[in-house]
Amino acid sequence: MQNPYVPIPVVVSKIITEVDTKDIKTFRLSFLNKEDEEKFQYIPGQFAELSVFGKGESPIGIASSPTQKGYIEFTVQKAGQVTSFLHEMEEGTHMGVRGPLGNSWPIEFLEGKNIVVVGGGFAFTTLRSLINYMIHEDNRKRFGNITVIYGARNPGLLIYKDELKEWEKRSDLNMNVTVDKGDATWKGREGFVPAVCKEVAPSSDNAVAVICGPPIMIRFTLPVFFDLKFSKENILTSLEMRMKCGIGKCGRCNVGHKYVCKDGPVFSLAELDQLTKEY
Amino acid sequence: MEKRLIKKDVLAGIIGRIAGDMNLFAPVLDEDNVLFEPVKDGNTALANYKNTKNAPKAFFFPRSETLMRYARKEKGMEFAGLGEEAGQAVLFGVRPCDARSFALLDLLFDQEKYKDPYYIDKRGKTTVVAMSCTKPPYSTCFCTSVGGSPTSADGADILLTDLGDAYLAEFLTDKGAALLKYFGDVKADAAADKKKEEIAAASAGEIKTTIPAREIKAFLDANFEHPFWDTIHRKCLACGTCTFMCPTCHCFDIQDEVKGADGKRIRNWDSCMFPLFTKETSGHNPRPTQKERWRQRFMHKFRYYVDMFGPIACVGCGRCVMSCPVNIDIRKIAQDISKL
Repeated sequence: MQNPYVPIPVVVSKIITEVDTKDIKTFRLSFLNKEDEEKFQYIPGQFAELSVFGKGESPIGIASSPTQKGYIEFTVQKAGQVTSFLHEMEEGTHMGVRGPLGNSWPIEFLEGKNIVVVGGGFAFTTLRSLINYMIHEDNRKRFGNITVIYGARNPGLLIYKDELKEWEKRSDLNMNVTVDKGDATWKGREGFVPAVCKEVAPSSDNAVAVICGPPIMIRFTLPVFFDLKFSKENILTSLEMRMKCGIGKCGRCNVGHKYVCKDGPVFSLAELDQLTKEY
Repeated sequence: MEKRLIKKDVLAGIIGRIAGDMNLFAPVLDEDNVLFEPVKDGNTALANYKNTKNAPKAFFFPRSETLMRYARKEKGMEFAGLGEEAGQAVLFGVRPCDARSFALLDLLFDQEKYKDPYYIDKRGKTTVVAMSCTKPPYSTCFCTSVGGSPTSADGADILLTDLGDAYLAEFLTDKGAALLKYFGDVKADAAADKKKEEIAAASAGEIKTTIPAREIKAFLDANFEHPFWDTIHRKCLACGTCTFMCPTCHCFDIQDEVKGADGKRIRNWDSCMFPLFTKETSGHNPRPTQKERWRQRFMHKFRYYVDMFGPIACVGCGRCVMSCPVNIDIRKIAQDISKL
């Protein structure tokens, strides 16, 4: 029997500081054993428990795409014990990963549809995974138009800056990057994510919206999509809860009878309507 | 199914012989408490007892358990093996409500996907010998309201029932049958079965409290928000005693402990009654007050578990009712809900 509590050994092969405030970093982890890499089959939208012996574990969405071979990436904000320790780590350090855990963005459901990806601030990690998955040459044909609306408070807080620039060059991707307030060097769009969504006004025809961001952004963005006639079945989001086991046993991440760790984190708004409002 | 009749005066000898061959735990008098303890070194299994103070879930799901060990190496801490493996054991004299809690916990820890190897290992190596309640031991017993009975065999490998002059031993599983040799060779006859049925009916009939455990499900389904939830938690101290005593409560925390170059990852019982249980690093807490925590505890037992697995996650042992320092009574909550 595979022991789901034992982490897979990995080495931190690369650390990228994402933002000016230096409190969000992307950690590239490489598997110490080749067979673990083959076993770690994941889908965009899933997460894993980052495991630092001596400190504990923290559930973090997988930011890389399965189309990127040889490593997995996690973008982590420095916040609690485990993530603060991660931020002090150097490349070459050994640590553990438990996963992949949870459901995923429903790739089969998304196939053949126009996809609108909406992200705010730091909640862009599994959306980045999804975008990189969809635009990979093996997959791009499987999806219709892809529109991305991504915003942060200021230019320095946008994550994956180099990648955003690469994506903006592509003709098969409608990129809309915005900041609440620009600075002297910012030449891009200014405005809150909900306002930009209204402006871009993606069609709801054969379309699915995938939305992640801070609660305040979600609250003001959803009405825009309702006005655009997106049904609740076609609006997806990902929930976060405090977690420990990640496999539906320890009992703290349930919303009603659903466990965010194993039945989620991805839910459609229609599914969330069926659940108790406790998240 | 094999059935044996055992003369009452030979039971102590049977317990002694099994305890000589393997670890056997039975209700033992420890100061004023009846607790499951090893039967050895002068500890004698009680012949007459009501129930143990603590639920026996700790044998499969210990209060604190090492999941793995690790060691400090040049490049960071590295995995250094699992915790200790469990040995073979016999739990002798488990009351039917508590034995049923094992069957309920199996549903969670032994699912098709995501099996819990620690629980499953101990459960598989432990033989559960249950002892029917020929008379419900407490006024707070309500097993018959939540799917059990004083003679329920759920979760047990062997069920003993006191027929007055002898015990009827029913060997319910292969694990139980493996202990057959200790129980003599007097086969039980139809008269013994009939007697057991009479005792079962009489004992169930003596249970004083009934609660509308199934009937309130419709209310719970429809009323996550309801003024009633503002009433039950007010005197709760958030001490967690109810969840600690409960045979089916199974929430846990995972923590790391380091001493020098050695560390271990352990899991400890946790409680949905505690404010920190769901509090996130950001400060956000989806269950910010005791109201939401009580609603969670009650809903988990009478609504969510039912939705997930079918049975109610309560065995009616009454421990939470007896041990709550401020007399919150889960039976009364269910009864009050049924009147709304």
